[in-house]
Amino acid sequence: MAHFEIRDLNFLYASAKGRKSLEGVDLTIEKGQYVVVCGKSGSGKTTLLRHLKPVLTPAGKRSGKILFNGKDIGELTDREQAELIGYVMQDPDDQIVTDKVWHELAFGLESLGCDQKTMRARVSEMACYFGIQNWFHRDVTELSGGQKQLLNLASVMAMHPQVLILDEPTSQLDPIAASDFLDTVRKINLELGTTVIITEHRLEDILPYADRAVVMDSGRIIEDDVPSNIGRELYLKGNEMFHAMPTPVRSFYLCEGQGECPLTVRDGRGWLDREFPQGAPVRSLPEKEPVYAPDDIVLSMKEVWFRYGRDLPDILTGVSCEIPKGVIYAIVGGNGSGKSTTLKAMCGINRAYRGKVEIFGKKIDKYKSSELFDHCMAMLPQDPKSLFVKKSVREELEEMSKDEARINEVASLCEITSLMDSHPYDLSGGEQQRAALAKVLLTEPRILLLDEPTKGLDSFFKETFAGILSDLKKQGITVVMVSHDVEFCARYSDMVSMFFDGQIITTDSPKRFFGNNSFYTTAANRMSRHIFDMAVSIEDVVELYRLNRGGDRS
Amino acid sequence: MERDRFSRCHPSVTFAFFIVAIGLGAMIMHPAYIIVSGIAASSYYCLIKGYRGLKLLVLSVPLFIFITLFNPLVNHQGQRILAYVFGRPYTFEAMVYGMAVAGMLIVMLLWAGCFNHVMTSDRFMVLFGGLIPTLSMLLTMILRLVPNMMRKTAQIAGARKAIGRGVGEDDPMKKKASDSMNVASSLLSWSLEGGAVTADAMKARGYGAGKRSSYEIIRFTPSDLVMAVGMIMLFTAVVMLIAKGGTAAEYTPVMNITPIGSSGLPGFAAYGIFLMLPTIMHLVEDLQWRISRSGI
Repeated sequence: MAHFEIRDLNFLYASAKGRKSLEGVDLTIEKGQYVVVCGKSGSGKTTLLRHLKPVLTPAGKRSGKILFNGKDIGELTDREQAELIGYVMQDPDDQIVTDKVWHELAFGLESLGCDQKTMRARVSEMACYFGIQNWFHRDVTELSGGQKQLLNLASVMAMHPQVLILDEPTSQLDPIAASDFLDTVRKINLELGTTVIITEHRLEDILPYADRAVVMDSGRIIEDDVPSNIGRELYLKGNEMFHAMPTPVRSFYLCEGQGECPLTVRDGRGWLDREFPQGAPVRSLPEKEPVYAPDDIVLSMKEVWFRYGRDLPDILTGVSCEIPKGVIYAIVGGNGSGKSTTLKAMCGINRAYRGKVEIFGKKIDKYKSSELFDHCMAMLPQDPKSLFVKKSVREELEEMSKDEARINEVASLCEITSLMDSHPYDLSGGEQQRAALAKVLLTEPRILLLDEPTKGLDSFFKETFAGILSDLKKQGITVVMVSHDVEFCARYSDMVSMFFDGQIITTDSPKRFFGNNSFYTTAANRMSRHIFDMAVSIEDVVELYRLNRGGDRS
Repeated sequence: MERDRFSRCHPSVTFAFFIVAIGLGAMIMHPAYIIVSGIAASSYYCLIKGYRGLKLLVLSVPLFIFITLFNPLVNHQGQRILAYVFGRPYTFEAMVYGMAVAGMLIVMLLWAGCFNHVMTSDRFMVLFGGLIPTLSMLLTMILRLVPNMMRKTAQIAGARKAIGRGVGEDDPMKKKASDSMNVASSLLSWSLEGGAVTADAMKARGYGAGKRSSYEIIRFTPSDLVMAVGMIMLFTAVVMLIAKGGTAAEYTPVMNITPIGSSGLPGFAAYGIFLMLPTIMHLVEDLQWRISRSGI
C-alpha cells in the first residue's frame, strides 16, 4: 500500500483571483522513499506539501483526494497527524517554540501528554542520535542557525513520525551547515526507513541520493522520474528548471554527452575521463582583460582591527584591501569568520580601533553620517525584512525619495513595478530582496554593500539579481558583497577575496582565485580540474569541451 | 553557571527554604534572631558570589549606619534621651530600633540575592510547570520572545543606519519619535509573521491535541526528601517557640526584649541550623572533595 496517494488534486487559494495553485496533481509516494520536489518559487511546492499535513493545509477551494495509508487524510485526528507526519519549515528561528533546547525536544511529547518515563527515553534518544547532548541545557538563543534547524528536525523526530516533510529546510543556512543537515536527513531515511518528502534549491546535495524527483511548474507536476533521467527531460523540453540542476547534469547535457548522466562531481570527473582518455589538447581559455582601472580606488582598508567590546576577542585582525571603481568585489570565507563585520567596518557602523578606512580617498572619520550615507554608500542587510517599515512597497520607496520619476526608474531597474502596491510581507523572498534593494538604491549610492545577497534565493531570482548588479556596474556603481555562495561569486564577480582568521588572505580574479583552489571552489572546477585548467563555470567547461571536439571559438 | 550542593536541590525544596527564611526574617524583630539570620545569609551569599559578595557586605555598612542614625529623627519615642535635634528628642530606644530595622532590611536583601542566584528562571518554571502547564508554557514563550524582539530591533536599527535613515544623538526629538514609530511598526509586522510560523510549528507538533504533560528536567531525589523532612522538623521547632512568645521584642517606647534562656534555646538553635543549611551543605561538599582528592 502506498504511503500517500494523491488523486487529481486541484486547489485555489481563497484570496487568489482565478489562477489555481495546484492543478490536476497526481502523485503516489511509497513507504521509505526519498522524494525531492523541485520547481521555481511560486510553482506550488509549498502548497502541495502543506496538503500532506492536515493542520497546515491552507484554506481555499479544493477538489480531489489525498489518501494516507489508504485512508482519507482528513480522517486523521490531531493526535495522529502530529505523531505520524513530521513537518519542518524554512525559518530556523520562528519554528522554535520554547526557550531551552531540552524543552523544545520535549514539546511535542508534552503535547501528546506522554508520561515522564517515555519522554525521558525519547528525548535522550534523540539528543544522542542528533549529537545534541552537549548543548542540551542551553538557551536556544545561543545556538547557530544550523544548530537551530537540527533542533527543529530532532524535535519533530522525537515523535517517531512515519513521514518527514521538509519545506526548503536549508535556505537560511550556510553551505556547510546545510550539507550537515541534509546528511542527517539522508541518514534518517536510510537508517530508520522514514519516508522523506523535501523541497530544496540546493539540488547538488540531494538529487544524487533521492529515489525520485518531482518537478512542478505553475501548480502542475511536469516531471516525475528517477533523478538520472530528470535532467534529460528538462533539457529536451527547454524547461527553465534545467538551470537549477546540479553542475554535472547541466554540463553533461550542454555538452550533449551520451550514456548515463552523472549526478555527482565524482561521476562528472569519470565522464570527462572517458571523454578525454589522453587529456584535452586545449586545456584553458584565454584570460579576459580586467574591466576596471586598478588605480582608481574608491574604498580602501589598511590594517583594520576591530572587536565588539574591550574584553572580547578581536574579530578583525588587520584587514587590508583596495577596491577599484566599478567592480563587483566579493568576499568569501567560512561562517562566523568576520565577513559581515568587515562590511560594517567599511561603512563605519563598526568603528575600527586601529587602522584606516578611506572612502573616495577621504578618511571615514572625516565624513558626517548624513554625508556618508547620501550619494555615497549604502548597505543591503542580510534580511531584507529589516528594511521594511511601511504598508506598501510604494510607501517604502517614498520614504527614501520624493522624486516620482526616480522612484519609477529604480523600481523598473529592480523589476518590482508590478509589485508597488503590495504589502512588503506578501512578497516572496526574491521579491523582498529586490524591493529592499530598490529602497537602498534610492540613496543613490556610489558604493553598494551587500550582505549575503543570495541567501534563500532560488536560481531564477539569483539570475535576475545578477542582471541588476551588472546594470548597476554599468552605471559606475561599485558593489562589495560578502557571500557563502561560491558559484554566484565565481560567475558574476570581478574580484574575489578570501577571508580567514580576521584577515583578507588573498585577492584575485574569480578565474584564478577559484581555479587555484581545490576544495573551496565551484563544482564545475572540482569536476574538470584534472582535464581543464581554470574552468570555474559551466560555460567554461562547455566551451572547452566544444573547442576540444573541433568547434570554433565563440 | 556552576551550581553548588544547595542550589542543585529540587526547586520545591529551595523555594520552600527561601519562603521560610524570608518570611520568618520579616516577622521576627528579636536582635539575636536577626543576627543569626544575618550571619547565615551573608556567609552563604559570600560562598556563592565570592569577592562580589564581600563587596556588597561592605557597601551595606553605610546603609546600616544611615538607617540607625536616621530613625531617631522621625521616631521620638523612648525613655533615654541622648540629645535634642531640631528641638525634638533623639532617643536611645529609637536608635536601637533603627539598628534592628536596618539589620532586617540588609538580611532580606542578602536572602533575596541568594534567591536570585539559586532560583533561576528555568527552575522557577520547573516548580510551577507541573502545577499549571498552560501558564508555564506561556511564560516559556515570552522568555523566548523577548530576546528575539531585542535582536530584531537591533537589526532594524542597524539596517536603517546603513541607508542613512538611522537616528543620531543630535537629531531633533520629533525625528527621533517618528523614527521609533517606524521601527516599532516594522517590528510588529515582523513579529506577527514570525508568530504565524510559530503557531504552525506548534500545531504541527500536536499542540492542543489533548491534555499536556510536562517534562521534568529536574528529578525529586531521595536526598531532596531527606532535606525536606529535616527542614519541616526544624521549622516546627521554630514555630512552637514563636507560639510561646520566645521571640517577642519591643523597642519603643520601652525596650523589652525576651531573653533567650534555657527554654528558648532549642527553638533558637533550630532557627540557626535551618538558616545555616545552605552554608553547611556547601562546606560539607567542599570538604568531601578535598578528602576524596587527597585520597587519590
